[in-house]
Amino acid sequence: MGTMIQRSGAGYRHCPETLNLTRPELITSFHRAYIEAGADIVYANTFGANAYKLEGSGCSVERVIAAGIQNAKAACAGTDALVALDIGPIGMLLEPSGVLRFEDAYDYFKQQILAGRDADVIVLETMTDLYELKAAVLAAKENSDKPVLATMTFERSGRTFTGVSAAAAALTLTGLGVDALGVNCSLGPDELEPVIAEMTQYTDLPLIVKANAGLPDPNSNEYDILPDRFAQCVKALLPYGVKLAGGCCGTTPAYIAALKAALENETFQPCPKTADTCVCSPSVVVEINGPRIIGERINPTGKKLFKQALIDNNIDYILTQALSQVSGGAELLDVNVGHPEIDEKKMMVRVLKAIQSVCDAPLQIDSTKPEVLEAGLRAYSGKPIVNSVNGEEKSLSAVLPLVKKYGASVVGLTLDEGGIPKTAEGRFAIAKRIVERAEALGIDRRDVYIDCLTLTVSAEQDACRETLQALHRVKTELGCKTCLGVSNISFGLPNRELVNSTFLTMALEEGLDLPIINPNIAAMTGAVRAYRVLAGIDTNARDFIDNYNDAAPAPKPQAAASVSLEDAVYNGLKNEAAAIAAKLLETADPMAIVNEKLIPALDRVGEDFEQNKIFLPQLIQSANTAQACFEVIKQHLAKQGGAQVSKGKIIVATVKGDIHDIGKNIVKVLLDNYGYTVVDLGKDVDPQLVVDTAVEQNITMIGLSALMTTTLKSMEDTIALVRQTPALQNADGSSKCKIFVGGAVLTRDYAMKIGADFYCRDAKESVDAAKQVLG
Amino acid sequence: MNIPDRIDRREAVRYMGGAGVMMNADMERLMDGCEQELLRVMQPKYLYQIVDLPQEALLVGGDIRRHLKGCRQAVLFCATLGAAVDRLLRVAQVRDMARAVVLDSMASVAIEQVCRQADESIAAQLPGRFLTFRYSPGYGDYPIELQKTFLRLLDAPRKIGLTVSDSCLLVPAKSVTAIAGISDVPVERQRRGCAVCNLRDTCQYRKNGDHCGF
Repeated sequence: MGTMIQRSGAGYRHCPETLNLTRPELITSFHRAYIEAGADIVYANTFGANAYKLEGSGCSVERVIAAGIQNAKAACAGTDALVALDIGPIGMLLEPSGVLRFEDAYDYFKQQILAGRDADVIVLETMTDLYELKAAVLAAKENSDKPVLATMTFERSGRTFTGVSAAAAALTLTGLGVDALGVNCSLGPDELEPVIAEMTQYTDLPLIVKANAGLPDPNSNEYDILPDRFAQCVKALLPYGVKLAGGCCGTTPAYIAALKAALENETFQPCPKTADTCVCSPSVVVEINGPRIIGERINPTGKKLFKQALIDNNIDYILTQALSQVSGGAELLDVNVGHPEIDEKKMMVRVLKAIQSVCDAPLQIDSTKPEVLEAGLRAYSGKPIVNSVNGEEKSLSAVLPLVKKYGASVVGLTLDEGGIPKTAEGRFAIAKRIVERAEALGIDRRDVYIDCLTLTVSAEQDACRETLQALHRVKTELGCKTCLGVSNISFGLPNRELVNSTFLTMALEEGLDLPIINPNIAAMTGAVRAYRVLAGIDTNARDFIDNYNDAAPAPKPQAAASVSLEDAVYNGLKNEAAAIAAKLLETADPMAIVNEKLIPALDRVGEDFEQNKIFLPQLIQSANTAQACFEVIKQHLAKQGGAQVSKGKIIVATVKGDIHDIGKNIVKVLLDNYGYTVVDLGKDVDPQLVVDTAVEQNITMIGLSALMTTTLKSMEDTIALVRQTPALQNADGSSKCKIFVGGAVLTRDYAMKIGADFYCRDAKESVDAAKQVLG
Repeated sequence: MNIPDRIDRREAVRYMGGAGVMMNADMERLMDGCEQELLRVMQPKYLYQIVDLPQEALLVGGDIRRHLKGCRQAVLFCATLGAAVDRLLRVAQVRDMARAVVLDSMASVAIEQVCRQADESIAAQLPGRFLTFRYSPGYGDYPIELQKTFLRLLDAPRKIGLTVSDSCLLVPAKSVTAIAGISDVPVERQRRGCAVCNLRDTCQYRKNGDHCGF
């Protein structure tokens, strides 16, 4: 359609979809040309007819889409051709890269789906972001019963602009229940074979190929493949399970005619998937074809600091846990944020989005509450694991439908109303029941990962055998994958690591696929990696050698007598400084270390930075080093149950509309390191959230950052709202809050004009402001 | 397009506000690592289109009219380092802020290098004609809101994955939109200078009576 509109030179204002209203006969004639060339489905001229792109055009989404469908229907009259509601990307990038929220993207698509209800088929195409496409698929499935076809656009690298792999697209879309999936636009059909070949390994669904007429010259828009060759190239892709073929940019009716002629006597050749069960993020697919490590550390159970991080909304703490587990060898991460003092559902969504913004490992959504699982399943991009369902009727009927709807895998716990059966026989029976129920809903049994439950061996020594026996039977008789939390086995015993790693090895030999462990304990990750070599899974021990070949054990940092804590901080020697701090704690008062050593050292660094003697990164390195010392001191105090080292709470936020938050993050690091407790509200922060947080947590110091001239207005609005809020005022009506502001384009005059208390030229000045207010 | 071989380190130091700071071995090492990572991850792309002037939609404000004076055509241009660089910066901000600052500065230098490389290829397509320097929405009184128009005309979201948010932030972040006049007579390639710079009121160099070279 785009090709024809461009060629016709038809004039339009704003976007080509408005031609549906201004030139209906022209649009109908284009459709008719394609139908005459042999097209079975025509895509209505609705690709960009969304509320974002039509804004300012004077045309509503409803009118443009209804007219688009009508024009196509008129062309189909008297033929068997079908009309597709064509939906492309919104045109704004979704979080985390952009600011468009997933939930808002859903609403954009929902409006289009409802407006296009007269179409025969819904087509979602030219997508480059799997998250945006997921919003579109959910909107289609939840607001229509028409078939859904979904295609993405790949570059020569085999990935989309946002890094989505063909495999991840196939897995995720198959899980979400589309009717066919594939590729459109991108490249010519001669170059699409790798993408199609990859997709077909991961899905049983029919594939779609809708290629360009070769490569466009990026600037002249001329294409380099002619109709006959185009058709032959598409034909060569049929053995991969391609059922729907068509043309995208540059394909005039002549291409469709050639395609029709070439495919006339061909039949659909289904191509079953070859991959084992997989889970994925948008960029990483993990095939469960051998033991894979699930990191267990994102879980507050028994972790004081983690609980505190949840209460304080300290997302960065959780992100650090995620990244360090991946560095340790985790291939998947369990995410559990259940804690009575917080809204678990909101937190799950927030944490999943945040982890996915920095970490490629697929995630396991862990909660006992179905509503938390569902919120997490919606918010996740890719194919996740749900942890968990069990043999109780209540659990089976609540959790399995969610697993089916969102296309996840699921952990099945072998317990039910009667508790955990003592015998392997009892647990096997529950596993069997879970698998049968899952299959009845259309969930592949290979997507059910049975957990035969580890009991504490010091309490019940025989239980270990029962667990392993049940695991063996599940694996061999049910053909399911297996999963097991390992660490519980050694509870109450000394040298737990030894017991854990031995048990882990035993379980692997019985057929354990997914050990849930702490990957940062070298012996645990090592046991899995060694097992993969010994069991012949890690071919030629390549992965093992990669991980251990140059593993000269790092020298343990010593509290060298020659370096003082002050010097270590000044020079950014993180490990040394932490070691020195730990040693000092044996004899000195924690607060004395903070006030007499750490803060003065930081002050010296700050002064040198102000005098341009050192760089900003050096200032930050020193600050991080001080932070490592604070951590040591905090842990020391936490063990003693003593007071927290905090000089007061400060809110920091990058204002509404602004997503460049590096400046705010630098400020945060410095304030943190000077001993203040920072409540980081993130970027694109609504003024109301700043006010609500200040009121709820009784915080009177607020830092705001804005990078752009366009977002300074949000800063002004936020300050105004703080000042107007009665709960943040003293009895005489004056404001309780001190506000400091910063940002590249901000000036002192402007800062004062919009009512800030402090203008901070750089991160160091924000520390000075905090000192003035909080001491 | 080709990925640059190196990232200009002196420029990156400027971006970090390090005018006059002595480099030391630790900083050099940090910058080496960041440079390698950035060069590995970035996927620079650009697009351009030659448009006839005058075009009311593009000529907003006095500054751009002055800039394009005497030009009957202009090059509409955009470029990006791609989404992977944004992700790299996000990860670095969680793991190591010092590294994040260096990466951020180096990425800013890299996109400028990419633009210069693109300038040269475009100029080579226009023998006998001359380009003014790239003028971007947001310079002087040229409205930053025009970024949306630029990207729409260039079909940038679809062709190179470059989009703009409601508050006019380019996504991916390390990206540029610009227009350059095409002149039949040589144009003085003067510096863009402080007059058009949004940082003129807060700039450290300017306060010191210095200039960043922009």
